[in-house]
Amino acid sequence: MENMESVSNEEGRTDQFPVGMRVLAVDDNPTCLRKLEELLLRCKYHVTKTMESKKALEMLREKSNMFDLVISDVEMPDTDGFKLLEIGLEMDLPVIMLSAHSDYDSVMKGIIHGACDYLVKPVSLKELRNIWQHVVKKNIGSYKKIIAPSRHLLPTSEYAPSGSGKRKEKADDSGDGDDDSDRDEEEDGSEQDGDESSNRKKRRVVWSQELHQKFVHAVQQLGLDSEFKYRLYLKKLDEGQQHNMSQDAFGSRDSSYFHMAQLEGLRDYSSTRQLSSSSLLTRSSLTKFHPSVYSSVNLQGSNSSSFIPPGHHQSSSSSANPFGTYHSPLLARSQNVNLSPLEPLQFPRSKCSPYMGDFKGIADRGISSSFLDSRMSFGSSSTSLPCATSNNLMLQENFGVSDGNQSCLNGLSSFPSHHSWQGNLKTTTRFPSHSLPLNHAFGQDQMTCGGIGLGDYNTSLVSADSHVGVLQCEPPFLGDFMQNMNTHKWEEQNCTMMNNTFGNVDYPLPVDNNMVFRDNNATRSKGVDDSLMMSPIEDSATTLNSRECVGNVTMMDPEMRSSTKLENDLVDNQHDVFDDIMNEMLKQDENNGMVSVAARFGL
Amino acid sequence: MDAHVAQLQMQYRNYILSLYQQGFLDDQFTELKSLQDDGTPDFVAEVLSLFFDDCVKLVGNMARALDQTGTVDFSQVGANVHQLKGSSSSVGAKRVKGLCINFKELCEAKNYEGCVRCLQQVDIEYKTLKAKLQDMFNLEKQIVQAGGIVPQVDIN
Repeated sequence: MENMESVSNEEGRTDQFPVGMRVLAVDDNPTCLRKLEELLLRCKYHVTKTMESKKALEMLREKSNMFDLVISDVEMPDTDGFKLLEIGLEMDLPVIMLSAHSDYDSVMKGIIHGACDYLVKPVSLKELRNIWQHVVKKNIGSYKKIIAPSRHLLPTSEYAPSGSGKRKEKADDSGDGDDDSDRDEEEDGSEQDGDESSNRKKRRVVWSQELHQKFVHAVQQLGLDSEFKYRLYLKKLDEGQQHNMSQDAFGSRDSSYFHMAQLEGLRDYSSTRQLSSSSLLTRSSLTKFHPSVYSSVNLQGSNSSSFIPPGHHQSSSSSANPFGTYHSPLLARSQNVNLSPLEPLQFPRSKCSPYMGDFKGIADRGISSSFLDSRMSFGSSSTSLPCATSNNLMLQENFGVSDGNQSCLNGLSSFPSHHSWQGNLKTTTRFPSHSLPLNHAFGQDQMTCGGIGLGDYNTSLVSADSHVGVLQCEPPFLGDFMQNMNTHKWEEQNCTMMNNTFGNVDYPLPVDNNMVFRDNNATRSKGVDDSLMMSPIEDSATTLNSRECVGNVTMMDPEMRSSTKLENDLVDNQHDVFDDIMNEMLKQDENNGMVSVAARFGL
Repeated sequence: MDAHVAQLQMQYRNYILSLYQQGFLDDQFTELKSLQDDGTPDFVAEVLSLFFDDCVKLVGNMARALDQTGTVDFSQVGANVHQLKGSSSSVGAKRVKGLCINFKELCEAKNYEGCVRCLQQVDIEYKTLKAKLQDMFNLEKQIVQAGGIVPQVDIN
């Protein structure tokens, strides 16, 4: 368990992120606010809460770097939630909007006004576990500087021999043939890279050791012949970039093509539903991703590896790269990636971030059961689904998967979401804190912020109570309804309101006053203590159990998570092909995230 | 283990399950429970307190709004319904939430009679739930007093 209080130095603090991320939570509904606070505390964030947006604005203006992220309800009586959003944007703070409204217009309004994200109440723990990504996005420049040198993350247009040397080293382990093929792969990658660097920016994935080994293993399994075919295919794709390459771009016929075509059709359907404002969901973002590649991702345990901040999901322009143009710096929870040779499928030029989630979703919806078959048709891929399922728990434990975002795929991915998949920082890298704009002054801030939060809340609570008291004394109840209400009882409630536990309300049934419940103030202080001390690390296993009860969890969640996990773990700074594969997967995941969000909005 | 404790625990388990089965509670309540631990032993009670306070307040607001002789401000009623919907969904008060959904539509339709009826139902529903949860907490207390531990109930 990470004890925040023991983290006193700069280095330690950065290691902890997103633990201790300072969140300002604003909601005029006390029930929702208290629950939100607890959920955020569970995510190990530092929470300051208030029911009044005015107070929130004051706090924001008072100290510009007091918070890392704001999460606020949109409908509040004293101030429009959008005002808070504007202030947050001025200060370059990520602001997440929260609302019980899930209709399209509300969501659109939130996003257009610049909200990083829009969450529909009730918010789940999983969704909140992922919100730290928005902080990273806002500070992506700093993260890049920190991460790049230490993680061999290359600038997009560069081909670094050192990286390939590393891989060659690994390839040596697996034999000459593989070694050669690896080198060839690298060269191909560099060629493509060189050709394309001027045309586009590629997001890179970092090629982890485990990933590479898995790749090599896969190649071994499938033989050099496949490898050769694969590279041939890549070259052909290169040549025929601008138009969809037909299946005959390559030699072999595979039923998977047809499956993929089905998927393509499905994806097109999805894409037409997308908001134009979404950079992640353009038509071109949907590429035909080869099932074998996808399925061959063997999602097994998670080994912490380098952390690459996601920042680059944004599109890259079309390129000759057969798999589109995504090289997203993936958070590398390195996974064992078992990459079988790709059958020829086409990858339309794509500008968007990986769509893997979406892809998965489509498969999981069972619409293309043939897709699943095709995935199984590739030798090494058969392990993917079972592994994915078993990975679910692991993912839960380490990622804070945003189930809410990834479930409920129904082909509607119209909501622009920033749910690029990222791994859990706390198990991975070290950020020199000086280069981070986030100021994690835990000890001090905790005290201050906690104090403020408590003060505000108490004030609000008190006023709410008094307000209720006033109401209770008023006579105006109508007709039959009045007969059901005993004004005497209302007054009684009024008197006991301040010390109220809900047992205090006078009902015909026996009431147990002051039994198990404390009054709100006492429990409030406990809440403050929590925020100061950070509650113990949640047992994610048990969380998972309750998550299963949560509405948003669907069957496909394990698959979703596995796919996104894959993205996180792929690390490659040179290998274009696999960069692209992984980027595709990321994109998939992002799309998937968006799909589910849209679905949740009832679109 | 003490037979009495075991019996109480079984009673508790069955009671909780029945609340879910009868549609009083949903998975959000489960999540609420999951947020309670040794560090926050009264979290559920606290949040439910807040919720029932909300109910009292909001129902009162709506009653007043609907009691206007002359023009009824349905948007005011609707705003309160919205709040109640948010609260009820947060704590997993399934029936109350369901009523709020209907209520919202009635407000939008400016259906006065419908709103009044719905408000009455909301009033009854939240009070019923409150009583039920009260009983649940009492059972918990009895278990603890008898020296046992309150069991975690797996809804599945």
